[in-house]
Amino acid sequence: MNMVLRSAIGRLRFGSDQRELALLYVACLVGALLISLLLIEFNGSSWSRAVNALVDGAFQSPGRWGETLRRTAPLLVVAVGSSVATKAGIVNIGQEGQLLVGAMGGAFILTLVQPGTPIMLVLGIALGAVAGALWAGLAGVLWYWRRIPIVLSTLLLVYLASQMAAFTLTRGALLLNVVPGEPNRLLQSAAVASGSRLGIIEVFGNRFSLSVPIALVIALAFSWLLSRTTWGFRLKVLGLNSRTAQRAGVSHFRYGMSAILVSGAMAGTAGAMMLAGGESQYKFSSGFSSSVGWDGLLVSLVARNSPILAVPVAVVFAALRSGSMFLSVAGIEAVLVDVVRALLVVALFIPPAISELRRKRRAMARQTERI
Amino acid sequence: MPGFLVNLLTDGPLYESTFRLAVVLAFAAVGEWVAERAGTINISVEAMLLGGHFGAAITFTAMPNFALAIAVGGMIGVFIAALQAWLSHFLTADQFGIGLTLNILLLGLAAFLQPRFDLDTQLASVASIPLLSDIPVLGPALFGQRWPMYAIYAFVPLTWWLVKRTNWGLEVRAVGEDPQAADVSGINVNARRRQTILYAGLLSGVGGAVYLFGQVGRFESSNIGGKGIIAIAAVIFGGWTLRGAVAGCLLFGYVDALRLNLPMILGYSLNSQLLASLPFLATIVVMLLFARQTRQPAALARPFVRGLK
Amino acid sequence: MVLEAGRIYGILGQNGAGKSTLMKILIGLVTLDSGEIYMDGQRVLVKSPQHAADLGIGMVHQHFSLVDALTVWENVVLGDRSNRLDAARARTIVAEIGGRYGLEIDPDSCVGSLTAGQRQRVEIIKCLRRNPRVLIFDEPTSVLTMEESEQLFAVLRQVVRDEGGTAALVSHRLEEVLQATDDVVIMRDGRIVAEMPTSGSSLDELARAMVGRDVRLHTSDAHHMRHGAGAGSDVVLRLSGVTVTSRRGGTVLDGLSLTVRAGEIVGVAGTEGNGQRVLADVLSSLCKVTTGTVEVGGVAVETGRAGAMAAAGIGVVPEDRHDSGCVLDMTVAENLMLTSLDRVSSRGALDRPAMRKSAERLISQFGVSCPSPDVPMWTLSGGNQQRVVLARELSVRPKVLVAAQPMRGLDVSAIEYMGDRLREAANAGVGVLLISSELDEILHLADRIVVIYKGAIVGEMRNEAVDMTRLGMLIGGAT
Repeated sequence: MNMVLRSAIGRLRFGSDQRELALLYVACLVGALLISLLLIEFNGSSWSRAVNALVDGAFQSPGRWGETLRRTAPLLVVAVGSSVATKAGIVNIGQEGQLLVGAMGGAFILTLVQPGTPIMLVLGIALGAVAGALWAGLAGVLWYWRRIPIVLSTLLLVYLASQMAAFTLTRGALLLNVVPGEPNRLLQSAAVASGSRLGIIEVFGNRFSLSVPIALVIALAFSWLLSRTTWGFRLKVLGLNSRTAQRAGVSHFRYGMSAILVSGAMAGTAGAMMLAGGESQYKFSSGFSSSVGWDGLLVSLVARNSPILAVPVAVVFAALRSGSMFLSVAGIEAVLVDVVRALLVVALFIPPAISELRRKRRAMARQTERI
Repeated sequence: MPGFLVNLLTDGPLYESTFRLAVVLAFAAVGEWVAERAGTINISVEAMLLGGHFGAAITFTAMPNFALAIAVGGMIGVFIAALQAWLSHFLTADQFGIGLTLNILLLGLAAFLQPRFDLDTQLASVASIPLLSDIPVLGPALFGQRWPMYAIYAFVPLTWWLVKRTNWGLEVRAVGEDPQAADVSGINVNARRRQTILYAGLLSGVGGAVYLFGQVGRFESSNIGGKGIIAIAAVIFGGWTLRGAVAGCLLFGYVDALRLNLPMILGYSLNSQLLASLPFLATIVVMLLFARQTRQPAALARPFVRGLK
Repeated sequence: MVLEAGRIYGILGQNGAGKSTLMKILIGLVTLDSGEIYMDGQRVLVKSPQHAADLGIGMVHQHFSLVDALTVWENVVLGDRSNRLDAARARTIVAEIGGRYGLEIDPDSCVGSLTAGQRQRVEIIKCLRRNPRVLIFDEPTSVLTMEESEQLFAVLRQVVRDEGGTAALVSHRLEEVLQATDDVVIMRDGRIVAEMPTSGSSLDELARAMVGRDVRLHTSDAHHMRHGAGAGSDVVLRLSGVTVTSRRGGTVLDGLSLTVRAGEIVGVAGTEGNGQRVLADVLSSLCKVTTGTVEVGGVAVETGRAGAMAAAGIGVVPEDRHDSGCVLDMTVAENLMLTSLDRVSSRGALDRPAMRKSAERLISQFGVSCPSPDVPMWTLSGGNQQRVVLARELSVRPKVLVAAQPMRGLDVSAIEYMGDRLREAANAGVGVLLISSELDEILHLADRIVVIYKGAIVGEMRNEAVDMTRLGMLIGGAT
């Protein structure tokens, strides 16, 4: 079966590489959407209602644009951080935990320090970044010290982070908001002090916080850092060929650790910004991260680790999330969106993998043989 | 204090718990061991476990037959493994990215489909092996379990035999150590790798089903949460030997059982978050202390394309 | 090409002539585009190594065919189609074939712990056990001492006689072909340009047919000798008692000491597998030493620390440029600037136009053939890639230049170019350390020759007063 498939793939010729790639993308996207369609039909509703609800929830209804943008910001920031790690060849998949830790760290300043001031806002976000960096850095230390694979330790740390977050919400001395006279039914923190909140931008009735422009700036900054500085250059060398990197003076530890710390810091910043920007009514709760970390990773996978490409991809993912709010009105589980998005990512793995494979085969043919 | 320790060491139910929790880890770990000996790392064993777990629940609800449900669970595990195998070792997509996405996909699917089905499952009946289950302390744990659990006793030696005593196993080992040499010797490297991943899928799928009927009885999407990852850690902890992987599973199963049983043993309740963190904390600590990289398959996690190193 | 039973054929040709591809076609690793292959009069199409073995074609590979982590008998049966693994039978096979041809080896020893000569025995046993009628040896003697080579040719002769088959010896070494074969087939540019019986051919004839023009053979020409080179000048590189133990516990470098003076070319001769790769790795900051010191210009350099050797002034053209010499996915310009980023950046920001300009300058200076500095490295041919690596290393004006197997995989003109460049560097005062398992190269280029054996330097002599017998003995391990 594989032989047939292999020769079929080999025989696909579309004239130019770009055209071929574009067709592959279309084919895979259609495939993913078809499966989603099936799921929707299986659910008992029609896909047109689903699409309408999604578009309604993401863009059309008044104020929804703002919701989409609001959700774009943390996805983008996480994705940018993930790109940095991947460029350096580090597999950090613990952003969900790093984001939570960042939000948690930020919450200590943002919700507990009264009255709030812009300085507290900055400090809160900074603390969030540091917390995220340290959480990721832990995995880095485990690797450089004891060779524990980062992919494993970052995943384990996600589970630990959610337990830690739940813990801080069980104690009034920590983040739990104890309202005197009322039993503790809601496990959440106090709201972020009003002076420490990120400013709100309002455009045509769409409200979103400053986190959106900040995220954009971060994406642009890292795009520049990665392509135009010696640090970014050396990171790339490390990721592409670690032995050549060693020879050329790129210390695995220094550059690898810096990549890990940066990616963790970005996830932490995203978490803190979510809190300061109004997520879940400015209150930290144990489900706070709501898969933004995972989604951000997926964004960066689809965007092929480019901070610039991550912008439109993050918007699409954010649109799916905000659109999903309206799905229940159409009688569809909001969770469907989770499935669709993962299907899309799986589908989108295929075209670049195929073209990589063929490019490599062609490169091989070009080499002068050894003796 | 010593009294407490004695209680801890002789607590029969604790060991019974340990065994049950270790078994689900072991199914995943033994399968992943084979796949890692071939040089692949599949974090999607988490998805395979969940797929088997959920698939078995649905099947049992439709037709209350344990064996059938377990078989279907295994097949679903194979199906998920096929996706991982084809995408990473035929198309050379990044195996970590694929694994991660499959995990997310399965979680979403389970959450999406669960309300659809009015799941009705139950635990399988206990099948105590006559003489052996009377051994004090360990007897009930090892020989007094519900009958699907005993499947592990067959799979572990079967897997050992497959890898150590067959030609297929020799080729798998060669592929994980030096894929170029294996290729030149006429072995289809990526085909072998894909086969080991399918095997891991089969075992993990069955393991998820066995977990449903042997330990939890009811499907919750959080049942599996992280067990696949811990299974991979067990493989590493064991230095990529089968013995070591099983030992790791027992160790991590023990910690997980502590989480469930410690309050009862001690007599007072402990912080629930701390308890829930125990398995993951223990995994990290254990790897810190015991992970040795010298026995790692030399080509682990390095994709193979003929002609390119 | 016709191969007749009972005869040994030498397939001669330079790198890039197509010998390797031809053999790969015969063994099923490469598919042919057109043409036919006939065995015993029947047309065949070899689809895979397994299929080739079934047809009776067997190859003894030069590299990459044995799995280090497995034992001898496991390697010998690797690739078999049977389902059961019969260890006892496998051991018997190893003993039997080994005994018949004088290739004794312990079936249970781990291949990773064997010497290069022993590994080749395993390769031969692995090949012979399928009873091949067509036996192909791919560059077999690069890892063998002269004595071991003789033994190998005897085995070859015996196999061909006993099995009534035919053998093809692929090589680019003229003397070897003259010694061991009955007929010579010469390839150039992907086609066969000459076939002749070995007896009656001379070195010159073969060389001329191989290259297509008169070529100066690699002998110790007085013309190229740089008498007294390096005498009296400063020591630029000194290794003292360098010992490196591998992770598995074996000693890879054993108290190795050598010196290189400014302006001289020191050739490190020896068969592959005696520590050359690790020596180059140490000098590339890729490997930490257990004991011993490395000094550049009298100043000790920390081993194993990223970039320390390069910063101290050691340039390296490595044995495997894909592994540690360049980054294939980056552009030519980026590869050229890999070690001198500070020159084309200010305060951390890369100055891409400056990078491009520097790159263009180096490209023209070193004659790299590429459409632009911004093409990916992997699009360049092997020879051009080597030029890029050389250009980069020389552009930072190193005190020492280490060239490890620099001519490997290059065609004649590329080899001549490399040789000229190395000599030019030496003339400019760089201390050149040439590590090569090709004695010809060493004799052609080096001023002083040292011999490496089992991780230590066992002897040295000046090229102008070279004693070939003693050299051969040192390389073979005799003292």
